Amino acid sequence: MKFVTQDALRVWLDQLAQEVDLVAPRDVEGHVLYRPVASSAGVLFEYQRPEMSAKDYLFPATEVLLQIEQRGKEMTLEEIVPERKQVLFGLRPCDAHGAAVIDALFLQQEPVDAAYRRQRERTTMVGLACPRMWEGCFCTSVGGAPDAADHLDLLLREVDGGYAVQVVTEKGAALLAGLELQEKKGEPPPSQADGEIVPVAPPQAWRTLFEDEMWQRHGERCLSCRICTYVCPACRCFDVVDRVTSVQPGLTCSERIRVWDACTSTNYRRAAGGHNSRPTKPGRIRNRFFCKFCYYPEDFGPLGCVGCGRCIVSCPVDIDITEVMRGVAERSDG
Amino acid sequence: MTTSSIYLPEMGRLVQVESMTTLEKLFTIELPGGQSLGHDPGQFVMVSVLGVGEAPISITSSPSRSNGSFELCIRRVGDVTNALHGMQAGATIGVRGPFGHGFPIEKMRGKDVLFAPGGLGLAPLRSLINQVIDERSSFGRVIVLYGAKRPNELLFRDELDEWIARDDVECHVTVDRGDETWDGHVGVITTLFPYVSINPRNTVAVTCGPPIMYRFVLMELLGKGIPETQIYLSLERRMKCGVGKCGHCQINDQYCCQEGPVFTYAQIKGVEEAL
Repeated sequence: MKFVTQDALRVWLDQLAQEVDLVAPRDVEGHVLYRPVASSAGVLFEYQRPEMSAKDYLFPATEVLLQIEQRGKEMTLEEIVPERKQVLFGLRPCDAHGAAVIDALFLQQEPVDAAYRRQRERTTMVGLACPRMWEGCFCTSVGGAPDAADHLDLLLREVDGGYAVQVVTEKGAALLAGLELQEKKGEPPPSQADGEIVPVAPPQAWRTLFEDEMWQRHGERCLSCRICTYVCPACRCFDVVDRVTSVQPGLTCSERIRVWDACTSTNYRRAAGGHNSRPTKPGRIRNRFFCKFCYYPEDFGPLGCVGCGRCIVSCPVDIDITEVMRGVAERSDG
Repeated sequence: MTTSSIYLPEMGRLVQVESMTTLEKLFTIELPGGQSLGHDPGQFVMVSVLGVGEAPISITSSPSRSNGSFELCIRRVGDVTNALHGMQAGATIGVRGPFGHGFPIEKMRGKDVLFAPGGLGLAPLRSLINQVIDERSSFGRVIVLYGAKRPNELLFRDELDEWIARDDVECHVTVDRGDETWDGHVGVITTLFPYVSINPRNTVAVTCGPPIMYRFVLMELLGKGIPETQIYLSLERRMKCGVGKCGHCQINDQYCCQEGPVFTYAQIKGVEEAL
């Protein structure tokens, strides 16, 4: 196996931080979050699951799509194209899996979403395997694993005295210049993939339960707070809005921005004039789960859930996606 | 690396702005270099007032009458549409599209075509009605049953008069409640159906209007025996992207901006969130 000491890893990260936009897990006032870093100082190497996914760095919560300048009647539009390369370090495998889910719609369905593709192209994803599964995790139920290399460019696993390095893609290999690698005998031990397996019912089984009373039960207690969507590595609904950034005599500058949206929000489906074709919380909760396990896999291929468990631990009223999955599997069996 | 984005609008120019009612205006738009929009009846565009926002609007002009421009009939009801209503001829707006699937005119040739628009629902149907009229010999009977709430809310009144005057179009107009200017029919749109006889097997029906109207118009159409696969509706959704990404127009596993906005009744029958 390829091996790197933690000291050598830090040297490499310090160098990367000079050359690219480097993002890594950090402790932010007691919360573990992926954040931009200027050096290896403050980068966490031992952490559980960052509270937010890394989605924000590929599909930002607020992303400027266009800059608009209006001089009298003259209007100019410019697309914002990020120039610098980006490295996401210390990604948990479920976060890379989430990017692959979004790829299936934004990159693999025509027309390609150019803004997302630019973010994806400039980014290299360096994973750090979870040594075991955490509270709420069920990645092994939905095609993932705490040490899955799929969808990453490089995967690191903690071993005695440092990390084993697995090169997954050419993009990952290209990043290795400057990393002092050693060859060591043996292979890193696999992570403890001991989480409970949650049943995933096929789309056609979900379809038989569209009218089930469980949607009423889960929906009744939903607060429409949308946190489940915002912490999800795979949710990708968005809104597009304009905002004026400066007004001077003869020159008005504004931006067209794309912002995360959530199908669980009250006004998500409100049309002009006020008609709302998905007016109830049970209907909206049902849509969220059907999107993940029925519509998304049928329309685009992958499941819309990577089993990270963030929505379970974030929900203020304890709506548990695994309880829903079990409920559907049990009911559709009968 | 690509720089052309699906979110980058073309700069259109408003060449004419005409008041139609207190709420609706008709906008005539030219694209740069006089290029054609190349739309089908029933498709929509994403219209931007730059700095205010973008909204999906159905195209009301017929491709058969393009003259290097296209028309949108827009009700002022939100930020973007209110800003549009404040704009004059000569102003610049953003245009993306056309998007979606329109009315399948090929499947209508040789058949009787019954149009049943309600209120602003005439805007998308007018595109198809005028195309059908311009290719009149390819179709059987052409019937238009149009209803609005009040006389002063009727749209395209000159054109309605033209259609009424033609002997190859059966056009009936009603209002829910009349006033002193109105000597025409009074009653909801379904009260017009007894005026026309319909050969259901050979009829294609096309309807668009507010959700409550669909319920009653569909009952009429189905009651006449028109097959579910021959009834077309145009659904309203607040699309944010127009290209199947943003999720807003999703009706279960279907994207209104991709598969729609035109659907047959057979496609949406029993689909809880469709209407």
